[in-house]
Parts: sequence; structure tokens; C-alpha cells
Amino acid sequence: MLVTKPVADLCALLIDELHGELPSRIFAILLTKGRSTLPQLVQYTSMTPRQLRHGLAVLQQHNLLFYHLDPGAEFAFYEANAEHAYNLSRTGKILEMIDSSFGAPAKDVMQSLLLSGQTRISDLVAAYQEKIGHANKAGEGFGDGDDFGTETNGINGDSQPAKKTGPLVKSTAQLNSIICRLVEAELIDVVHAKTFESPQDVLKTVEKEVMDKHFPGGVKGNKAKVDLQQRIAEGLRKVRGESKSLKRKLEQNGTAAKRRKLFAGVSMANGGHDEDLDPALDPRQVIRINYEKCLVDLRNRRLVQFASDMLGETTAYVYGVLLKLLTKDVPRCRDDAAMDVAADDDGDTEKGPGFVTTDQILDNLKTSVDLSLGIGKAERRQISSTAAEKIEPYPIKKKALIEQAEVDGEASADEEEDEDESSDESEYDSDYKAPATNGANGANGVNGTNGAKVKFDESAAPKERRLDRPTQLRQHLLVLTESTQRFVRHCGANEWTVDFAPLMSALREVELDSVIERSCGRQGLRLVRILRAKGKLDEKALPNVALMRKPELQQKMLEMQTLGFVHVQEVPRDLKADVKKSFFLWFCDAERSLNRLLETSYTTMAHCIQVLGALRQKERDVLETTKRSDVRGREKDTMRKEYYERYSRFLECERKLFAQVMRVDDLVAVLRDF
Amino acid sequence: MASDTLADDSAKLAILKDALYEEIRQHGSETRLFTQKDLLDLNIIPNNNVLLLVRVVQGLTDDKLLVGTTNHHAGLAWRWRSREEAKKYTSLPNDETVMVYSIIDEAGADGIWNRTIKNKLNMHEAVVKNCIKFLETKGYIASMKNVEHPNKKMYIKATLRPSERATGGPWFTEGELDTAFIDELEGIVFEYIKTKSAYRGSQSQSTPSSSVAAPKAPKKGIVTASSETLTRGTKRAATDISTDDNLPPSTTTRGPSSKSRAVFLPMPAGYRHYPTVAEIAKFIHDTGITNNTTLGEADIQQLVDVLTFDGLIEGVRVGRRRGYRVARAARQDTVPFHKRQKEREVGVGLDRPLVPGAEPLSNGLTEAPCGRCPVFELCEEGGPVSPSNCVYFLQWLDLEDSVSAAAPSVALPP
Repeated sequence: MLVTKPVADLCALLIDELHGELPSRIFAILLTKGRSTLPQLVQYTSMTPRQLRHGLAVLQQHNLLFYHLDPGAEFAFYEANAEHAYNLSRTGKILEMIDSSFGAPAKDVMQSLLLSGQTRISDLVAAYQEKIGHANKAGEGFGDGDDFGTETNGINGDSQPAKKTGPLVKSTAQLNSIICRLVEAELIDVVHAKTFESPQDVLKTVEKEVMDKHFPGGVKGNKAKVDLQQRIAEGLRKVRGESKSLKRKLEQNGTAAKRRKLFAGVSMANGGHDEDLDPALDPRQVIRINYEKCLVDLRNRRLVQFASDMLGETTAYVYGVLLKLLTKDVPRCRDDAAMDVAADDDGDTEKGPGFVTTDQILDNLKTSVDLSLGIGKAERRQISSTAAEKIEPYPIKKKALIEQAEVDGEASADEEEDEDESSDESEYDSDYKAPATNGANGANGVNGTNGAKVKFDESAAPKERRLDRPTQLRQHLLVLTESTQRFVRHCGANEWTVDFAPLMSALREVELDSVIERSCGRQGLRLVRILRAKGKLDEKALPNVALMRKPELQQKMLEMQTLGFVHVQEVPRDLKADVKKSFFLWFCDAERSLNRLLETSYTTMAHCIQVLGALRQKERDVLETTKRSDVRGREKDTMRKEYYERYSRFLECERKLFAQVMRVDDLVAVLRDF
Repeated sequence: MASDTLADDSAKLAILKDALYEEIRQHGSETRLFTQKDLLDLNIIPNNNVLLLVRVVQGLTDDKLLVGTTNHHAGLAWRWRSREEAKKYTSLPNDETVMVYSIIDEAGADGIWNRTIKNKLNMHEAVVKNCIKFLETKGYIASMKNVEHPNKKMYIKATLRPSERATGGPWFTEGELDTAFIDELEGIVFEYIKTKSAYRGSQSQSTPSSSVAAPKAPKKGIVTASSETLTRGTKRAATDISTDDNLPPSTTTRGPSSKSRAVFLPMPAGYRHYPTVAEIAKFIHDTGITNNTTLGEADIQQLVDVLTFDGLIEGVRVGRRRGYRVARAARQDTVPFHKRQKEREVGVGLDRPLVPGAEPLSNGLTEAPCGRCPVFELCEEGGPVSPSNCVYFLQWLDLEDSVSAAAPSVALPP
């Protein structure tokens, strides 16, 4: 991760927000000065080694630090882990995701893990045992980390007294089972010695090992070089694989796989199965959250939202199920260049997401979902099934020029008839409902009961009255396939896959477009997209294509140039480079614009947190009062009315600002991580 | 004797001139170039006498009935000019005027800039001005405007209509881009594509999927509290406003109480009737909206391209047919565009802008004050503009009337 000033600022602010000022200051120094030893840090920060050790310990606990100890050296080098520091801003999102796909108890466990950093399983169990015991004794709820809660879930921080419910995790067996689920989903992995080394250090160590072991005489020739690369990649993969050791152990145990078959991976959530089946975990294992895998799930959510924006909710739901199945074994969003490129012989999971069959999706759809919704109906003769069912076994490359399609100008008579759009909706409905003999009925829940699981058959009778569920599902999938964004690729008969790289770049483009449209209007968007489609364009050629007045256009272009969405190139006509005679070519460099957008996003997030800091400063008398132990928890009763109003207003602002940080992070994730 | 032959000769010459001129006119339009060989092949000049031809052609050129030009391929060549035109030339008072007129004539339908005339003829400005004035009062030439160079004073022969290039085609009226016309037409084309490419059905409020619910977004009203976005607003019927799309689906109630609303739905894959440019052009032609402008398929294509670039529609290929469909069908306004316009006329929905298409997407950046901040680059903690004294954030957080003055000095009652 490239650390620029906005990122450094943001990371320092985030750490300050969650872990206090001391770690934040040390972290900021580490970012600006690079890797440093303890004596160096003493020099930079003018703090005592004791203070520094405290701060470093906190950072270490939350995996915000890399260290490296050369054999025989006196002091270890510390290095900031900016990636994990940034991930702090995703905490809330990850918890929400866990909540929706694994249930509230899992979320609770995850939250404890987030709050305490990497934890030994025995410690976690002990903490929960205490909580459970406490709850059983008092018969009262416990505050699940209210002190930190503002960032993590945005719900508490409310002055409402804690809910009077029992603990979410009822027994250590349940805890054990939850951890097993999360480990199986790769959302939790194991901490090992190499976790604390920066990627560069790991690479160096692996390189050295490989050199010593396989190439003691040095590398000679191209073949050896390739071999070296492969061995290094293999070594790196091995290091990476170490953190999955727990998962492998669980899988070997067999029960997990068996259970997954039984429940088909759907409702792991509410622990309907027998918890005792899960093997007891080694209490000495240290576990932590695997952000990489969390990002894969977050990406799925973002894509579902994207599909819902573009196509509709029912289709997006189908897409969500598809993505969930497809990415079950995808460990990370972006392949690591050093490890994964050479990994040709490493099996399917490393190369691509594989594919999902229609039946698999069907098995995982909720029965309550009515698939007849969300897609319009058309008569069978209006549908070209050959075009719709086209199979694309390989990812689509950008085609050069598609030959112009012939135009068949058969605007049939019935098309002309419904020209008069002014008619009421009721007319429309009656118009379309009458010949409901064919097509998927888009009307509400007409065929909810029709659940005959008939295999879809291409040569089915054309007078089929209602489409069965598999056919409806297919329709949704085909719509996804046909979309301009290419959500899905139909890679074989009844097999579906997703090409993430082009899809994500489409999504990035959409995000950029929406920023442009919101800041420069629709005409600005038009100009940028023209440039994107046509490449570099002379200033004089633009107005004709865009159908805009010249002065307006020039103004818009200048506006967008200052915002960094378009760029201009001056090409002199002759050696004298007379400005009047020069060509001015406009172009847009999406990569540059996106980078700039990313930096802007970081700064925006930092600003939100800074504004919050300013607000805290302003309301500090109120906030200090609320920290008093006799006020805490019953602010409403004890505080003066005006003060309480100020307090609740502050809380509202805090919520808004954190929500905003989260929203901007959505954008950052799309631009950088997915 | 000598004079006799001369007179005889000139009479013969005059006959030959007439004959040659008429023959040339039979053989092509005013733009056709005749080379010397072409002229000889007309078989008017006896014995293919080149010298005689030279004299005849010279005579015709003097009468302005033939215009000499040099052609890249054939060398010297001539084209003919009508007698009325020639008469205009001969009626001009002096050579300067003739030269000016001929230059304007040559420029044809594109017209010519007066500065170019001056430079080409290397004459004094006053002379050129005089000539032009004379020609204008005579009604031989007229001034015109070129859309490519609106500030240049151009002249054209009065009998010609300015070329398409000069007027800018159907999108220009009197040298100005007719944006009102274009906007109107864009709206109509968009509406046509929308209704033809999406299915209009009704959908209940209740939606599936609580497990894949969209990430909880802060509520619209909170996030976009600034006045700018509020005016932008959503463009839906009044009854639909309560059902904001941003509400997470899980919060909507399911059951008999859920009412249905009209929505556009995407067509099934492989739909074969997405409108093509030809169909749109036919529709525009049949409705006769553009009564005095004829719009070709190329013009409509231009319009459709602009809509595509605007992100309102997208091209789809089904088989070999290249049609267009509306983008983000489910988010489109179900009330037709022209109905919205009527509504505005009676004063409904004036607070919302009237643009075709769905509301643009937004993300965290566009909603935060920073995304639209004019001084974003300067903003830094410790600077004159900083997050801690940001007025935009205060506005956005609704804290403008911030309390501080009238607050009691102690937080807790005694």
C-alpha cells in the first residue's frame, strides 16, 4: 500500500480515535521516518523508552506494526502497517457483514476479537466464561464494549441503558462452534511468527532460503531465473498458507465438510446444528481477523448493491447468492503479483473463481423469494434465445471494431399503437395482463405457488403458461450476463462465473462518473465519456460531438481540468510553437483521475474525523460530565435538560460523521482494494 | 481588305463562341471542368485548330462565360458560367469589384471572410470595403454567419444558401446552436427509448433478501442536508416519495399492506425489439415534431450518441441488431417526460430540475461537504481554512445555530 500524506494523516487519526494518542503518535512517526529501532524512536519522539514500549505493545497487539529482528542484532526494527491501520475504518462494516451472514453471536465474538486484537483462544474463552457467569449471576445484560462502540457499530453511544438481554453467546461450546465457522469461512486466521514481519522482510528471508538451498552457486541463465521466481513464489505461498493451518485442521476433521454438505452452507447462522460436533480448538492458538477475506465478502456486497442499482433488487439478490457460492474459496480480491502469477500448477482455486451451476444457485435461494419479480415480460417470439444463451467460455477481450449491425426497420404496427404514453397505468396493466399466457409475469406474486422443479428445456412448448422457478432463475442470470457491465459470464451450459477484474474496473468507472456528474453536471459527464470513447480530441472537434455551445463547453472543460477529470495536451504546429496556432488536445486519463479521487477520499475521511475532534473540543464540558461514573449510563435523568440536548446533538453528529467515514470508505474500497 | 477579313473573322468568332458555349453547357453542369482536349472533342472548332480555339476561349473568358482554373491532374481547364451570372460580372463598374466578386463567387456556399478577400487580393482595406458595399447594395452578395467562426464577417453570393458546414446542420438556427431544440428532442428520443426498451409493470414494496441487504446507508435527508442537493432532489411521483430507494430493503414491511407502484423493469435477455436508430428516426419523422427541419438518420445517431455519453441509454447488440435501451431501467421515472413538463406549466414540481433520466448515482464523496468544497486544496489543520473551522460541515451537520451563549454554566442540577 502506497502511503501518501493523506493516508498517513488518516491512519494516525484512526489510531488516535480507537487506541489513544500515544500509539497514534508513535505510528505517525514510524510512517514519516520509516522503519526505526527503539533508540531511534526515542530520539524522534523525545519520549522515554518505557512510554514507547507501552505504545508499541498496543500497536503490536492490534497488528498495526511489523517488526524485524536480524539475528544477533540488539534492537528490532519497527515498521508501521498502514494497511491494517486503514482497515480500522472498516470495523463497523465487517461487523455488520458478519451479523447479517453469521448472526448476532458471531458478530459479538468478532467484535471482542476486534477490540482486543489478536487473542489466544484460551483468553477469549476465559473472557466469555466470565461474561457468561456474570450474566447468569446478575441476570442482566452486559455492555458489549460500549467504550469503543461508537466506531464499531454506531448503534450504541446512545444514552439508552443497555438492553436487558442475556449474553449473546450462551456457552463456551457455542463460542467454540462460532470460531470454527469463522475459521472455515477464513474470516479468522491464525497468527504465526511471520505475521509480524513486513512483506518485504518475508520476501527477503524466503529469497535467501531459496538461494542457499537451491542455488548455492548463484543464478545462471534464463531457465534458472524462472525457476528461482517459481521457488520464491512457492516459498511465499507456504508462508501465507501457515495462517490457514487451523482451517486445514478443521477440514481434516471431516465433520465440518460433512455438516456443510448437510446444510448446504446456507444457514450456518443460528446454530441449528449440534455444537458438540465441533472439535475443541487448541487453546494456545492465537487468532486474529483476516481482513483479506473480509474484503472479498465486502466486495460481494458492493457488487450486489451495484447490480441492484443497475438492474433491480430481485436480480441483485440472485447475484448475491451466485457471488457467495463463487467466492467461497476465493482468499483475496486481488492476486499478489509476487505469489500468484507463477502459480499455474497450483490448482483451480488460485487461478480464478471457478464457476457455479444453475442448480447450485437454485439450491441456495430462499424459498420466500419470488423470482417472477424484477424482469419484464416479453412474448417468446420477441426473444432471441440464441443471442441470450450465448456461451462465452473465455473472458471477453476488448473487441476492436464490431461491424455495424444491419438495421431491420420493422417497427410493427402494435408497437406504434402504444405510442401514446400519456395513458394511465391501469390501462397498461390491463393491456399486459390479458395475454398473460406467455412470458414471465412481472406482476406481483401471481405464480408464487408454482414451484414445479422442472428442468429448463430449450425446446419446451411455446405455449407454456407460466415459467417454472429454474427458468425464472435463468432469466435473471441471463439478464446479468447481457448487462453492459457484464456482471456474469455464461461460461458453459448452466455454468456461470464472474470476471472480477473487468467488472471492478467498470464499477470504478461508474464511481468516477457519479462523482463527475455530481460535481460537473450531466454535460461534464458527457464530455468525459466522449473523450474516453474517442481518445484525444481537438478542442474544435468537441462541440460537434457533444452538441454543446462552444463557450459553455470551454468553461466546463476548464472546470473539469481544475478538478482533475480531464487533461489537456498542447501540440505545436511548427517549431516556433506559436500558442495561437497550436493544437489543444483534450483527453482523460482515468487512472490519474481515480488516483486523485482516492487521495481526495482519504483527505475527506481525515477531515470528518478532525471535524469530530473540533466538536469534541467545543462540547468538552458536556462530555466530561458524561464521563463521571455517577452520570454514566443514566445521562438523561441526571443531566440538565440543555446539557442533555447538547449531548444528544453531539452524539448525532458523531454518528453522522462516522457514517460518512464509512461511506467514503466504500469508495476507497472500490478504488483501491476490490 | 484587311478590315474586311477582320470583321468577317470576328463574326465567325462570335458564332463559334456561341456554338461552343451552348455545346459546353450541354455537356455538363457548372462544376464540370473542360480541358483543351475536351473542348476540341466537341467538334465545334473546325480542323481542331488550336489557335482558333484559343481565340474563342479567350473571347468567352472575356465575356465571363468561361472561367479558367488550373486543375491538378489536367492542367489548365475551364468551366462554364450562366449568362445571368456573366452579366453580373460585366455590369460591375471596375476591376476591383470584379475581383472581389469573383473571389466571393469562388468561395461558393461556404462563404468567405472579408479579411481573406483582402489578403488574397492584396488590396487596400478601404477599396475592398467599397467594393463589398457596392456589391451588397446591388444585391449580389450577402453577409452570413459561419458557426465555426461566429465572430468573422463572412460574405456569400446572394443567390446561394449557406452550406451545411457553415450553418452547422439541423442543430443550428441563425448560426447559434439551438440547445432548446436539442434538449427537447433529446427528451423525446429518450422517452421513446425508455418506453420501448423497458417493461412497465408494477412491483410491490416488499423485497427479498434480508441477508444480502444493501449496506445501511445513512438516510438521504441526513446526508444531503446541504441546500444544493436538496434542490436536486429525487424525481418521482409524489406518492412514491415516501418509499426512498435508499431504505434498506429489510425495513420495508411485507404482507397485504404493501402497496404496489409502477416501475420499469429490464427486459429479459435476448429481447429483440430494442429500438434502433432507424426506428427512432422513423418515429421522429412520423410524429412530425420537427416540421421545418428534416433530420436524417445520421442526425438522430448523433443525438442518440449524446444520450449514450450522458449515461442515459446504452447500446445493446442482440444477434445482428444494434438497438438501444434505457440504462438503469428500474430507477426511471414512470411519469412520461412531457407530462412532467405539463406539470411544471401549472406549477407542480418546479423545485425539481427537469432532466430526462434517473437521478444520478452518488457515493460518500459526493455527499460529504469535502466532495464539493471550493477550497478543498487549501484546507488543512492549522491553516486559515481547516476542518475545525469549516462552515460547510457545520451546515451539513445542522449546527449553524450552535449553542454556547445561553448554556448554563453547570451541567448537572444542584
